[in-house]
Amino acid sequence: MRAMGAVAAGSRQHRRRQIIGWVLFALVVALIPFLIAETYSPTIFGNRYTFGLGNLSQAIALMVAILGLNIATGYSGQLSLGHSFFVGSGAYLTAVLVNEFHWSYLSTLGVVVPGLFVFGVLFGIPALRIQGLYLGLLTFAVAAVFPSIIRLDEIKDRTGGSNGLLIESDLEPPTWAPLDTVTGWLHAIPGVGSRVPDGLTGRQEEAVYKYFLLVIVALVCFWLVRNILAGRVGRALVAIRDNQLGAAANGVNLAAYKTLSFGISAAVGGVAGTMLAMHSGFVGPDEFGFSMAILLIVGLIVGGAGTLHGAVVGGLAIQFVPVWSSQTQTLPGTDVALEGPYGTAILGGLLIAIIFALPGGAAQGFRRIKSQLMPVAPQPPTGSTG
Amino acid sequence: MVLASVLGVFDISLDKLSNGELWLAQFFRGLSDGATYASVALALVMIYKSTGFINFAQGSLALLGVYLAYIFSVEQGLPVAVAVVCAMVASSAVAMFVERVFIRPFPPDHVLPLVIVTLGLLLIIDSAVGIVWGFRTRSLPSMFPSGAPIEWGIAQLTWRTIGNLGTVFAVVGLLYLLLSRTKIGLAFRAVSSNLESARLVGIRVGPTLGFGWALAASIGTLGGALVVPELLLEPSIMLRVLIFSLAAAALGGLDSLVGAVIGGLVVGLARNLLVTFLDLSELALATAVAVILVVLLVRPTGLFGSTRVERV
Repeated sequence: MRAMGAVAAGSRQHRRRQIIGWVLFALVVALIPFLIAETYSPTIFGNRYTFGLGNLSQAIALMVAILGLNIATGYSGQLSLGHSFFVGSGAYLTAVLVNEFHWSYLSTLGVVVPGLFVFGVLFGIPALRIQGLYLGLLTFAVAAVFPSIIRLDEIKDRTGGSNGLLIESDLEPPTWAPLDTVTGWLHAIPGVGSRVPDGLTGRQEEAVYKYFLLVIVALVCFWLVRNILAGRVGRALVAIRDNQLGAAANGVNLAAYKTLSFGISAAVGGVAGTMLAMHSGFVGPDEFGFSMAILLIVGLIVGGAGTLHGAVVGGLAIQFVPVWSSQTQTLPGTDVALEGPYGTAILGGLLIAIIFALPGGAAQGFRRIKSQLMPVAPQPPTGSTG
Repeated sequence: MVLASVLGVFDISLDKLSNGELWLAQFFRGLSDGATYASVALALVMIYKSTGFINFAQGSLALLGVYLAYIFSVEQGLPVAVAVVCAMVASSAVAMFVERVFIRPFPPDHVLPLVIVTLGLLLIIDSAVGIVWGFRTRSLPSMFPSGAPIEWGIAQLTWRTIGNLGTVFAVVGLLYLLLSRTKIGLAFRAVSSNLESARLVGIRVGPTLGFGWALAASIGTLGGALVVPELLLEPSIMLRVLIFSLAAAALGGLDSLVGAVIGGLVVGLARNLLVTFLDLSELALATAVAVILVVLLVRPTGLFGSTRVERV
């Protein structure tokens, strides 16, 4: 009863297909920065769109932020509307450590990760008593309060207050990184090579280097989170989300796992903050206000709550939808001029549309398409008869 | 000794604390702010009572209403009070539309998707207001005359404060009469008490909920019209108000109308007194968060809320 062209799960063909998929993914990730090092800007219907490396790097940082939110909200079902608080704390911690103690960006992770883990656990303890909607209410208010904490008179000298904080360290590519050489090779490929610039300018080289740095940090985060969630902890969290009572009856320690999920979630959010600081070299209080908190929820739902690749789609969506819609100066085919923050409106509409039509988010959509095109037949369990 | 050191930490001067006029002035200001928080909190409570979730787009609906009031009064030249009434009618029409199109298709017993939908609505309405009217600040005149009938040094009980308080008490009184004396009020109470049973005895649940949304939106618009003369009208104005109103609603118990009013007044007073005497102007919002946190930890049903029985 196998569908046409279906392969058995775990068979050789299936594994080959998976390997091909990953290789393609790795190739795209590795080649894209060279292709768009000179911002790729197609003109569609008279509007000039840009697909720049800077936006892509920021999207990668947002993916990690959504990944963090996913642990608390998507996997263990605790509605958090205030994850921007953790992201902002991570970003400011990095900024202050780099500026005042002259640490390197990556070494600040040594403080950000444990610091925010503890912070998240402390936050998770009151959250134990507050559930569902009420937790959403509380975290919503917490998100709105972050900018005013940054602006407090007592710490204004450290955080830069309303003006934000310029980070006094540039991420210069080390001399051994063969970015320029690789660009030269790619340029030499006949045909497609003409898309790649012949050599990189200093600024482009820096952008490409930052991109790879962020990709590596993001991959490590996704890999670690995947491993945490694939095991005992992940099963416990999903059990809590699906049926709290049932989970408790099966011996899941609700309090411990819920606070743990907030801890991990906050730590990952903090890493995302560090990545954002790395990307832009600047932190400002209003960036991490409640609009970011809501955008992260949008990303989570649009990508697909409770899935890892959903976070990737979500990060791309909340970065590129506002950028591209602000670049749509005229409505295609008409002379209507468009002005104002309708990128946010589109995201809001997208959020509602997804909840209506595809509650599992884009991840569910992909899965559906994939199961149509490349079906995989599950292997019946063996060795457990009788 | 201990007192002195506590005062030192918070940078409080005893002059300020012993200044009776300042106390009174801040008390009046607190009442005025509290009345505005209370009216938006009333709107939140109406939705929570009927549907069991928090409408995060309530502030945005109020924002839309206030902009409509601005159009009616400043651009069309209607008297402010008439303009506000027109805006209340218009915003309830919008709310009924929103309820019909975006809320009713979802099963009412699954709260989380509905909350997410209200977040989407918040994004849509806020940015729509920004697209249509821009980010320039405008000023909406107050419904009440300026000046103060009672003055005591710097402490003034202005007509605006009296008007705000009077409006909120009038709204609660009218709501009480509406819910307890009319047929639609009875239907509303039946739906909020038990949706399934209400449907079984022949109440049309959908239109009743739509009525609740319309009522909530018009109360919210009225609240916005009370707030805006104190500040200036611009697209992000209702967000702060929403946070304070959420705190007020949580304090009063999310399903109690009287609780919303008392919660609003307490939050307004706490905010003004703390900010003045502790000199923490940036922490105004944080007082709201602290109120929410303490209430939810110590007494999740708030002061007047009814306890919900849950399966354990």
